[in-house]
Amino acid sequence: MIPVSNESEQRAIQRQALTATTFVEIVDTLVDDFDVIDVLTQLALRSVELLEAAAAGILLADPDGNLRVIGASTEKVGLLELFQIQNDEGPCLDCYNSGAVVSNAGLDDTPSPWPRFAEESVRAGFPSVCAVPLRLKDLVLGCLNLFMSEPVSLSTAEVALAQALADVASIAIVQDQATREAAVREGHLQHALTSRISIEQAKGMISERSHVEMDEAFDRLRSYARNNNRGLTEVAESLVAGTINIDAVWDRRRVPPPPATTPERRAQS
Amino acid sequence: MRFTVAFARAVATPASGWCSACVDVLDVSGAGITMMSGGQTGPLCVSSKRMANLEDLQFTMGEGPCRDAYASGRPVHAPRFDAGIFARWPAFVEQARDSGIGGVFAYPMSSNGAKIGVLTLYQDLEGELTSGQHQDSRVMAGVLAETMLSMQDNAPLGVLADGLQDAVAYRAEIHQASGMVSIQLQVPVAEALVRIRAHAFASGIPVGAVAAEIVARRLRLSDDRQELAEGV
Repeated sequence: MIPVSNESEQRAIQRQALTATTFVEIVDTLVDDFDVIDVLTQLALRSVELLEAAAAGILLADPDGNLRVIGASTEKVGLLELFQIQNDEGPCLDCYNSGAVVSNAGLDDTPSPWPRFAEESVRAGFPSVCAVPLRLKDLVLGCLNLFMSEPVSLSTAEVALAQALADVASIAIVQDQATREAAVREGHLQHALTSRISIEQAKGMISERSHVEMDEAFDRLRSYARNNNRGLTEVAESLVAGTINIDAVWDRRRVPPPPATTPERRAQS
Repeated sequence: MRFTVAFARAVATPASGWCSACVDVLDVSGAGITMMSGGQTGPLCVSSKRMANLEDLQFTMGEGPCRDAYASGRPVHAPRFDAGIFARWPAFVEQARDSGIGGVFAYPMSSNGAKIGVLTLYQDLEGELTSGQHQDSRVMAGVLAETMLSMQDNAPLGVLADGLQDAVAYRAEIHQASGMVSIQLQVPVAEALVRIRAHAFASGIPVGAVAAEIVARRLRLSDDRQELAEGV
């Protein structure tokens, strides 16, 4: 008895150390720029090791509510099909809809709520499954799906560990989305800023070429853009880049200025 | 709480008033907010003429705390202008001393990794900011970045938000002058800007004033490559 106890104690200690290492490792990658697929695949691999599962995958709901695999411990064809089926039925779909942990340890001997999934899972060598939600407050983003090769349930402690891993996955996903969104917003701001700068530069070019004031130069830039059915910014940028000839914009014969309406001009004519 | 109330007041004012609000809230001598877009920069606001000249100089010379904070993504602290700081920004330090500035602190303005610009704080007296001031400045820089992004969220695509127009308006003449000089000298606009900056540096006149002269057609840059070689 004693050697056995030592061995299981040994394993518990090893697992504890691995758990700590895993969290340190993942948190470390989240500090700097990270690739979210890479982090989620790493999490799937670590969940397999830590929970003694045969396979694991992280599924995310797309904007239409379809569950898609983002990271898996293995790319085996049978496993990918098991993920695919779950858009119709399976523990992940139930977990995603309810936001609660779903586990089933006897896919092969009890009537399953997901007959097609159960049959495929058992055939692939996974008589036991578990799905843990990826949550952000009240929102469910997807789930961590674990497959076991023995018909055994995860212990309460193991489910808690799986949930902790799923929470880290949620943080990685949310952080990645925030970074992407911010990059898009920054792009909009930068574009607006540079387009305004191009317009000022183009005004200066036209003003110098045709000896007119800045507001007149702006009018000419605008009428050229309108007459040629092009955007103001695009025309300004092309002028600055030299892809539109400056003479095309200032040439009065080709682009007539707005009709003169000032009293002096009328008096002259 | 003092910070929150003062801050709410700051963002409720037009962007042109943000710097004065920063001076009040963060208890410093002066402030400048600069929007950055690659090499292009534009001060959104400054708390006074002194700071306008110092922000302008950083643009002219391409050196200073603002650029360093933007490039590194980290706050830059120069509580006094010692030999190390002088070696880093010789022209900036010289003018800062002449303007009676004792120390400068620059905070990158970013939101979720998106870099928008830099908040620069100026102190008349030498010495570090308190850790409270430092914390508040970091928060202020982040909140201002988010405020600017939110302002732009509501603007049509490609059009700078009304409240942020000042960032370009202040520099409008410089960009117009660049366009004019590019035609005069038959050079690309980017090179024209370098020529204007070189002229400003060589003649000891702020770049904005040189641009104003060009736009008013009182100054034409001669097509003299020598100037460029000497200037920069």
